[in-house]
Amino acid sequence: MTTLTYAWRAARVTPLGELYTPPRITAALLRLTVQVVLVASLWHGLYAQTGTTAGLSRDQAVTFAVLAVLASRLRELDQYAGRDSVAQHMYYGTIVYWYLRPLSPHRYYALRALGEQLYGLAWALGGYTVCLAAGVVVPPESASVAGVFALSLFLGQWVLHYVMLLIDQLCFWTLRNTAALLILIFAQNLMSGVYAPLWYFPHWFLTLSSFLPFQATLNVPLSLYVGRIPLSEAGFQLGVQAGWLVALRFLTRFLWRRAARRVVSQGG
Amino acid sequence: MNAVRIVWRVTQLNFRAQLEYRTEFLMMIAIGAIWQVSVIVFATVLLTRFAGMGGWDSSDVLLIPATRMLAHGLFVLFLGRVHGLGRHIQEGKIDAYLLRPMPVYRQVQLEHFPTNAIGDLTVAVGLMVGALGRSHLDWTPGRIAYLVAAVLGGMLLEAALFTVVASASLRFPAADYWGRWLEELLGTFGSYPLNVLPRAVGGFLTYGLPLAFVAYFPAAVLTGHGHSTGAPYWLAAASPFLGLLAYLASRWLWRWALGHYTGVNG
Amino acid sequence: MTASIEVRGLSRTFHTTVRRPGFTGVLRSLVNPERVEKHAVSDISFDVAPGELLALLGPNGAGKSTTIKMLTGILTPTSGEARVAGVVPYRERERNARNIGAVFGQRTQLWWDLPVRESFSILRDIYEVPKAEHAARLREFDELLELSSFWDTRVRHLSLGQRVRCDLAAALLHDPPVVFLDEPTIGMDVVVKEQVREFLRYQVAERGRTVLLTTHDMTEVERLAERVVLVNHGRLVLDGTLDEVRRGFGSTWQVRATLADPHTPVGPLPGIALVSHDGPQVVFGPDGPAAPTVHQALKLVIERYEVTGVAVDEADLEDVMRAAYAEVRAKAEAA
Repeated sequence: MTTLTYAWRAARVTPLGELYTPPRITAALLRLTVQVVLVASLWHGLYAQTGTTAGLSRDQAVTFAVLAVLASRLRELDQYAGRDSVAQHMYYGTIVYWYLRPLSPHRYYALRALGEQLYGLAWALGGYTVCLAAGVVVPPESASVAGVFALSLFLGQWVLHYVMLLIDQLCFWTLRNTAALLILIFAQNLMSGVYAPLWYFPHWFLTLSSFLPFQATLNVPLSLYVGRIPLSEAGFQLGVQAGWLVALRFLTRFLWRRAARRVVSQGG
Repeated sequence: MNAVRIVWRVTQLNFRAQLEYRTEFLMMIAIGAIWQVSVIVFATVLLTRFAGMGGWDSSDVLLIPATRMLAHGLFVLFLGRVHGLGRHIQEGKIDAYLLRPMPVYRQVQLEHFPTNAIGDLTVAVGLMVGALGRSHLDWTPGRIAYLVAAVLGGMLLEAALFTVVASASLRFPAADYWGRWLEELLGTFGSYPLNVLPRAVGGFLTYGLPLAFVAYFPAAVLTGHGHSTGAPYWLAAASPFLGLLAYLASRWLWRWALGHYTGVNG
Repeated sequence: MTASIEVRGLSRTFHTTVRRPGFTGVLRSLVNPERVEKHAVSDISFDVAPGELLALLGPNGAGKSTTIKMLTGILTPTSGEARVAGVVPYRERERNARNIGAVFGQRTQLWWDLPVRESFSILRDIYEVPKAEHAARLREFDELLELSSFWDTRVRHLSLGQRVRCDLAAALLHDPPVVFLDEPTIGMDVVVKEQVREFLRYQVAERGRTVLLTTHDMTEVERLAERVVLVNHGRLVLDGTLDEVRRGFGSTWQVRATLADPHTPVGPLPGIALVSHDGPQVVFGPDGPAAPTVHQALKLVIERYEVTGVAVDEADLEDVMRAAYAEVRAKAEAA
């Protein structure tokens, strides 16, 4: 019971912070709208002279791109405004308080991330409904595609959580790494398919991606949605996602322990 | 002359300061390699996939990302510290700058050495060499001069946009959020012939957020697509000059905003 | 009764890399960094009794913060042992966390984007404090620290004084028997400082909390602490009452007297030296380790001589500490 109450408290920190700052919500709304319009028109424009390319038709490509914009909204908040990122806690020396509470830092972090992702999900769902109604995106082909997509998106978001956590955990070792972080975030965006579906990329790039966790976060669920990955291959892809989940879980757990050791030996 | 000497000395010290953080510096170099590969892949993939995009030959299209990236690299190297200034403003750094006998804008630029600019510029130069190598254009001294002017203009225009955001963050720290979006927009939409977009959207990226002037218009003028951009030819051709103008205007805005700076709380 | 905080032979050594000077030096450090040992805390032992406020004093970099970090469980000692309310902090961090509250100077543990009261609620749930108890404690803190006038404000908009008061409240919300405060009043104005001191005095006297405080403000020490521990270069220099510190480091009082008859012969008294003698103006000072206190000296002077006026100068704690730090430094240099 008490676990539930503190879980609820920690999870709602981000949404609450946003709600206390209405300009941020207006900004997010404006940004999401403009981004969807721009991305949709760009892909329409790119397909003007081309038929199906890389196995993606125009509608599939536009749907993929718009869904990618909506999905990246799930974890794309103004995190720095809340001063509750690992990087900032390290910078301001307030990370010590994470280690002074009867709540382990990794659990606190996970709860915060969960709240953030659920809040983002509300946005993404709202945006999806509007886009679907406006005909910007096409609906999934069948109920089973929708179901597999939902499951895959869930796993993908979980993997994404670990990827973001890894980036944050890096801050325990390298304080001045904002540029490195930007590059990692760029890699995440590029290799997960936020900028463009991975299907357009050369074969070697796809092979490289298949050895990295990034494509499991977005490219797999969105490809399932638009039908670029047929249902018959879905089982394998879900398995790969689950595999990444397990591997990253162990890695991040290990890094939390190392981070704690580091804080304990350096004093935060 | 003294100012140049100070700038040079501080830059040297900043560069050494970057070397001080051993792991970070080495990591920057390592990750820089990944970054380079992915950018080139990204820029070339779409161009080859969508040949004839917007009625452009793919060798001509390549000139757009090359110009844009080179301008961006130079921006990061020389003027990039205005990006993300909101955080420093929150920490009260401006207050400290105001106490020193050096223009605040210059002090902002001298805050640290942008190690990442080395990576950015390496990629950009590589891309530009590639684009020029594939180009079927006759590179007369006039064309080359215009290309150089366009790169500098693009750098100044990007600096102008981020200086406007920085001026806003002097009053509203949350303006940093818009800075990040601006960076993303420049990165995503700066590399295409914008005539593939619907007229209204293209118009927004020309007159609303003047992204078209960074690389698209100059490249269009150079490759003979200057009359089909949807904007008047003279306007497209004047891009480098407009970049300079925008930068000067943004500096004026910065000075005005600094004059109305009220400090951070606490 | 056993002590609230027990520290036995606590030591902490850090390993840092030194940078060689110059450009080539930097490049060499990049390839082959040179490591050195720094003894931040060496072999410190002391006790703090339940309901006692102890001031941990020392110049900057003396090892105060490192000591506090070890006692809060953030830092593991290289050797030695510590117990806080019966728990070894660095071995059972989470159990220790429930027993202690801590404020580290200007670093806030409050959530930057939320009103302060939301932060209090989060902490209440993390520490599992019953609602009624939480409300009652908030009321108590509000009475002493006047929090209610700004606790609906978001943390980012608070002034320093307001924020630190909120941080103090946040650290004590779960009723910890032991409290660690690392320079809590740094940068505050006098009014807020006084309010915070009153709050701390109340928490010690009425609530029986054990407080370990570091500060550079000697007025604070004088008002709050009966006992101080002085550390320097990571070593314990002195552990005693304020009076003992005064005596140990030249309690430099002076008694200035104006003689009724300027021709009276004057000389030293037992334990009292004649500092100067100019016409009717005579100045006495302490002489040797057996010197009387300033009040005893005053009594002796008045009894012995017929005076028309008398004044006493007593060095304040700040002077005493200055003398103490200087002596400690001289000893370190000699060693």
